[in-house]
Amino acid sequence: GLVQSCGHIIPESPVLALGSNFTALCILNESCLDFGNIYASQIIWKIKNRVVPKEQYREINRTVSSVTFNDTSSLATPLTCNILADGQIEQNIYGITVTVGLAPEKPKNLSCIVHLLSRYTPVMTCTWDPGRHTFLDTQFRLRYRWPEELFPDCIPKDVNNSCTITDTQFFVNTEIWVEATNALGKAESDHLVVDPIDLVKPVSPQNVSVSSGALPTGLTLSWQNWIPEAMMKLKFNIRYRVVGDTNWTEVPSEDTAYPRTSFNVQGLRPYTEYAFSIRCMKEDGQGYWSDWSEEKTGITSEE
Amino acid sequence: LGAGQSIQQTYDLTRYLEHQLRTLAGTYLNYLGPPFNEPDFNPPRMARAERVPSATVDLDLWRGLTDNARLAANYRAYSRLLCYLRVLDGQVGTAELRHRLSHFCASLQGLVLSIGGVMSSLGYPLPAGPVGPPGPPGASAAPNDFLKKMDDFWLLKELQTWLWRSAKDFNRLKKKVPPAVVTLRLEARGF
Amino acid sequence: QRHSQQDSHVQYERVGADVTMKCGSMDWDAAVTWTANGTDIDESHLNGSYLILKNVGLSQSGQYFCYEGSSWHLKYQTNLRVGTPPKEPVLMCRSNNYPKGFYCSWHLPTPTYIPNFFNISVIHGTKDMVCEKDSPPKNRCHIKYLQLFSTVKYKVTLTVTNALGKNFTTLTFDEFAIVKPDPPESVVAKPVPNNPRRLEVSWQNPSSWPDPESFPLKFFLRYRPLILDQWQHVELSDGTSHTITDAYAGKEYIIQVAAKDSDIGTWSDWSVAVHATPWTEEPKHLTTEAQITETTSVSTSSFMAPPTTKICDKGAMVGS
Repeated sequence: GLVQSCGHIIPESPVLALGSNFTALCILNESCLDFGNIYASQIIWKIKNRVVPKEQYREINRTVSSVTFNDTSSLATPLTCNILADGQIEQNIYGITVTVGLAPEKPKNLSCIVHLLSRYTPVMTCTWDPGRHTFLDTQFRLRYRWPEELFPDCIPKDVNNSCTITDTQFFVNTEIWVEATNALGKAESDHLVVDPIDLVKPVSPQNVSVSSGALPTGLTLSWQNWIPEAMMKLKFNIRYRVVGDTNWTEVPSEDTAYPRTSFNVQGLRPYTEYAFSIRCMKEDGQGYWSDWSEEKTGITSEE
Repeated sequence: LGAGQSIQQTYDLTRYLEHQLRTLAGTYLNYLGPPFNEPDFNPPRMARAERVPSATVDLDLWRGLTDNARLAANYRAYSRLLCYLRVLDGQVGTAELRHRLSHFCASLQGLVLSIGGVMSSLGYPLPAGPVGPPGPPGASAAPNDFLKKMDDFWLLKELQTWLWRSAKDFNRLKKKVPPAVVTLRLEARGF
Repeated sequence: QRHSQQDSHVQYERVGADVTMKCGSMDWDAAVTWTANGTDIDESHLNGSYLILKNVGLSQSGQYFCYEGSSWHLKYQTNLRVGTPPKEPVLMCRSNNYPKGFYCSWHLPTPTYIPNFFNISVIHGTKDMVCEKDSPPKNRCHIKYLQLFSTVKYKVTLTVTNALGKNFTTLTFDEFAIVKPDPPESVVAKPVPNNPRRLEVSWQNPSSWPDPESFPLKFFLRYRPLILDQWQHVELSDGTSHTITDAYAGKEYIIQVAAKDSDIGTWSDWSVAVHATPWTEEPKHLTTEAQITETTSVSTSSFMAPPTTKICDKGAMVGS
């Protein structure tokens, strides 16, 4: 039989766009021709074990046969070039792996949110819609820069739609975008130009406490703001309900629209236990509301 | 970003940096240990520490500075302070302090950038010439550890003072440069 | 007839000292008469013609005369001043008009009962600075800032001298550490019509603060209903007015404001307290003195506010 490799296919291990057309060439070695008494016309193309219809073949010359696929979606791995030698025995000449997929789509809906792990460790997590499945190994990179400073890319781990930047700087407009790259191309999201201070989801108010007020129909809510004023001024939402009730009532937001650490909630029923919860956000409305704080209860005094 | 907005942003960054430095400097001086972390510590200022840009300025001179001169002074100072601070950052032994220092250095670099942005938005050229320190701070490195710590002490103190000065500088600019007017003036000149 | 001539001078002695006075040039055994503030002194205090005063006290200060026995010629006169040497003076420096300058004021922890002379020196790095003294009796002087934003500390040394001794104290401080504005002025609190839970508070920058434009102040407002002890606080970084939105309906409130440079220094003392009661359905006579007195000067309330709490009183500050 034939021991040495008697030919090869080009292109070698192509990556092809789904739905495009593709032509491969199988090139026989001259040495094999004389020895094996084989010709390009005897080549049989196979996908896995399935013979490719002969109509898709074309004998380029004595040593080269081509096969053409109008739509790569029918392609699979391996694509082999075989020869029917000595009239009966089919012998494999060469095979390639064929990868079929799609170029990455433009990542969309890029949005970012900044959390404060510690007082001086703002961490920014950006998420995006990676677009259609590409069937290919596609790298996503979150890129960000200042006008004269490109920061190291943020490479997502185990996911393709989010990345977390561990050292975020406030009060400098930062250009943020996502790049998707695979063998078939590259795509870039719209660029977000934003000051990360406007993307903060603050830590909710801490050490919330309830104390009796000056009226049997009032209770005083106190708390501590975790974020320093030099970083951000806050506004608040306060909600309360009778313990056991499910409906919350919210204090009018205009009443809590500035930095503070306490509030007298009024208009309550005397001698009744209320649960309170509070959340905060950047005073100018940029960024995200914090989570609601843990609930704290208090009882109004008797009439 | 209009000039007024970028000045406001630069002002906010200055106050944020000043706030950060207050606790960071305390942590760093504790890291240096006594006597550097004692409130009344008042060491002499050696020649090396004199090369750190000083925020001290004659009161009337400061008041009379043009906007361009005011911004340029800030730009030059922080460019040099940043270089010194980076040397500091590279030598710190504890990971937590190193992280906070490098975060602060990045913020300070943002400030240099912001000031440059304000100057550009007002049509001023960035200061020419070497903006970094005359020679690498280590060029005439302190002969011993104590003097090295003294240099660090003065660097942090000068930086804190610069941030106080800059807060006043940018506050002054904020009042003088309402957003709309500047854009109009720039357009009138065919920008 | 007592004839006054001879040399008279002031003699300073420490409390508790033993004092011996000679009758001028008179011999020890000469017959003399001593008087103190016009009153003859008992013979028991004499040793010959010498006057012996043991363990002198403050009350023994006065004019002492010695007359020759027979001729009543005045032979010796002195003004005895009993007092103490000065203790270490208490010195305080503060800038309430930054960046114009700062003032230093001082006092002695305990009186010396005799005249004291104060000398103050202000050194900035290597430079001697002039301290313009206020006219007595104010123990205060003013220093003009020549430079701003200095990292070099100021060193102020106050020396006090009197006839019985000398003492001094030294203060070393950074330029920014002593910046402390005066309290805000013209604080006015008014109810908001048709809003039973709101009070509108306004105030002005302290008039001593020279350049609020370049050196803006931020403010701390505290308020509480008279019937409660717990203050509520709000920090305001710009503007000189604020609307309280959670006042207890119908309850009279006491309100104070403090000021601080927005970047450096410490908080002022609290302003004078003003009172106000939120709007209520039936118009009530507004108790705000501010409403009664026409002038915009800060209203003083009939209800005397508790002594102004020192701003750094831990209890008064939340989240400081």
